[in-house]
Amino acid sequence: MTPATSTGARRRARTWSLLGDVRRKVTPYEAVTAKFHYHFRRDPAPFELDPEMSLNRWYLRHRENSPFQVDDWEDFRDPFKLTYKDYVSLQHERELYLDGLVDQYEVADVTARLDEGWVETLRRLFVPLRFPLHALQMISLYVGQMAPSSFITNPASFQAADEMRRIQRLAYWTKVLGNTHGDHIATTAAAHDPWAEGGEWQPLRETVERLLVTYDWGEAFVGLNLAVKPALDTLIDWQLGELADRNGDVFLSLLFSEFERDARRSREWSAALVDYALTRDPGLRGVVTGWLDVWTPSAERACDGLAPLFEKAPEPIPAADVASAVRAQLAQLRTTCGL
Amino acid sequence: MPRLARSEWYDLARDMNWKVSYVEESDAWPDELSTAKGIPMEAWWGWDEPYKVSYREYVHNQAGKDASVYAVNSVVARSKMFSQLDEGWKSAILAHYGAIAAAEYLASIGESRMGRFGRAAAWRNMALYGTLDEIRHGQIQTYFPYGLLDREPRADWAHKTFHTNEWGAIAARHLFDDMFTANDAVSTAIQLTFTFETGFTNLQFLGMAADAMEVGDIDFGALISSIQTDEARHSQQGEPTMKLLIEHGHKDYAQKLVDHMFWRSWHVFALLTGLSMDYYTPLEHRSHSFKEFMDEWIVKQFLDQFRDFGLEPSWYWEDFLKETNWYHHALHLGVWFWRPTVWWNPDGGVSPAEREWLEEKYPGWNDTFGRYWDVIAENVRNGRPELTLPETFPMVCNMCQIPLCNPAGHAAGHLDSPVPLVHDHAGRRYTFCSQPCKWIFEQNPGRFQGHMSIIDRFLAGQIQPPTVPGALAYMGLSPEEMGRDATDCSWAFANGTVLTRGA
Repeated sequence: MTPATSTGARRRARTWSLLGDVRRKVTPYEAVTAKFHYHFRRDPAPFELDPEMSLNRWYLRHRENSPFQVDDWEDFRDPFKLTYKDYVSLQHERELYLDGLVDQYEVADVTARLDEGWVETLRRLFVPLRFPLHALQMISLYVGQMAPSSFITNPASFQAADEMRRIQRLAYWTKVLGNTHGDHIATTAAAHDPWAEGGEWQPLRETVERLLVTYDWGEAFVGLNLAVKPALDTLIDWQLGELADRNGDVFLSLLFSEFERDARRSREWSAALVDYALTRDPGLRGVVTGWLDVWTPSAERACDGLAPLFEKAPEPIPAADVASAVRAQLAQLRTTCGL
Repeated sequence: MPRLARSEWYDLARDMNWKVSYVEESDAWPDELSTAKGIPMEAWWGWDEPYKVSYREYVHNQAGKDASVYAVNSVVARSKMFSQLDEGWKSAILAHYGAIAAAEYLASIGESRMGRFGRAAAWRNMALYGTLDEIRHGQIQTYFPYGLLDREPRADWAHKTFHTNEWGAIAARHLFDDMFTANDAVSTAIQLTFTFETGFTNLQFLGMAADAMEVGDIDFGALISSIQTDEARHSQQGEPTMKLLIEHGHKDYAQKLVDHMFWRSWHVFALLTGLSMDYYTPLEHRSHSFKEFMDEWIVKQFLDQFRDFGLEPSWYWEDFLKETNWYHHALHLGVWFWRPTVWWNPDGGVSPAEREWLEEKYPGWNDTFGRYWDVIAENVRNGRPELTLPETFPMVCNMCQIPLCNPAGHAAGHLDSPVPLVHDHAGRRYTFCSQPCKWIFEQNPGRFQGHMSIIDRFLAGQIQPPTVPGALAYMGLSPEEMGRDATDCSWAFANGTVLTRGA
């Protein structure tokens, strides 16, 4: 063959060629997020191995053949447009705030002044939470690894990290409580046993276990982000925060308010994704609502199971109020999604 | 600052292990996504990571690291530094970005698979940091070349390589899909983190960082050395997984996982790092030869790891050591000859001074590989560049997907036979470059048997027209992007002969 020759008028590529003839300016967020999942709808199979090998079949079944499909997922944008750099920068600032908050309340030795009845409520309601939240972390990572676009994978992965953030702050405070009110609070058994066997926790455990084995990526996303997670976020960040406030535990009230920022981010990108999908294919409404018909009642039952514990606090919230707050939040999210 | 040390509360944030009862455990951790070899779930709960970090420490550290690396990039981007870099070095970093940037992002999928299907909460937590790290690495390694697009259109390959059927892209995809994108959680811990990230990433990230600083490419140096600090942390998921497999009587299985992925990593990194270190990096800035880096960071490291875990050096260890003397030299010849098929400009890198260095580092180089370059250089000097370019394609190995260079290895006295290995399986004939590549296939044919190498596709009529230009179009290479010699073959004229351009 003849040598390749350099053309005099080489086109100056100003953005990635895979983004096509883009008239508007491509943002840094888009430049480092667009079109990373080369394996989505790849022919003859997602991965460069035997087309019939198990993971190829898994992805074809649960992603390419999910009912949750649009012609192109690459135009979806997380409303927060978070890159990794933005995410760690944002959470670095928020964690500095929490470091300060913890410091302030530790110096004031607030746990020593907590009512014993309130500590008992925390033991039953607050301490075991790290188990279901860890399950939410796992399912977020499943949604992320199965999502058809990095524009979806990335916020799902950051959401998983937000769950870890919440778990670790709860674990920390569990230890602080244990140091003041007895080591028995800060043990694995104190969280594991109610989670594994306590009657109040079983509807939630059943819900998250069933969601763990929901492998269709669309249903996993809908079940997690439109039902189970917003229900649990409401129960914890809002209702338990309110309960803490009523019982004079200002620290936990502020801590849960902080987590509500992360929860709101989850709700907003989730609603944006549903809106994106329904705009492209209004027929998906039935698919999403069909899944919600399964997962919304399940999530509500899960929270109903825990609601009576709110009545046992020294300054209680009626279980019915907790249950209706959860229902209201799920309904509102559904409305936001246009469903 | 919170008063409690991490060690006082940390266990409470990684003890979230329970027996599922509303669903089957085998449904929640299916074997295809988490091959546990029958080890009971409770046994996995003792998984203990050697490197511990909290979320708050993670975001505090990472925000600082990102700020400093992006600051370097911001300063460098406004300078003329890139255009002043050696042409061979530019090829090394363009090859790196194409092969590595998107692959790193995809490693986040493998990490997330461990984050979901890992069998202990502690493991799943560590994998989550790995997910975040790999998103970082994918994004930062595309952001930097994105800024080069105006000056270097080939930087586009940092983004598009994995979407193409360029042969090196197929080789990289085949390796990385096997290693993490399409691997189960347990195997990923052994093959990605224990085998690949504790060894080969050191080679590419620390070795190339050392060369980058020598060359004066502070942008690339700062970038990849920062990345390696993350790798050093999340790579440690391998060790506790390995310990568990061995404790439960699965040493042979673990050994096979390592042997499989060590060999595959070696072949792709001989191609990527070997050429960059020994031919593309300017001679005056080479800190060590590729073989010296291999000896220090791969051979020694793995022998220590094998010993520490009671494993044996891989059964092909002697063949591997032999290959470190010749394999990448043969690949370099092939890549340079077939240079229109790669997205970077291979630097021949065989001026008299460079040949002297090669002879010193690889005694006998002049009498073996040097002889081919004598002919090539003469053709270049005689104004016959067409004789230095391909008319056909070589066979490609059905495992590593890299062109066979057995004849060159044989001619150099390192292989007993120039003939590749063939293997008949289920009515199809497969070709392999080496016994280990054939062995990997035989261990698990169902994982590989239906895959078609680029040459299989060519012979099956999937590449049309079935010509060299047709194949180059199939690979996604525009004429402007096809590789040329990085310095217009200046190495062939190092004695002062006038340059003939166009090679």
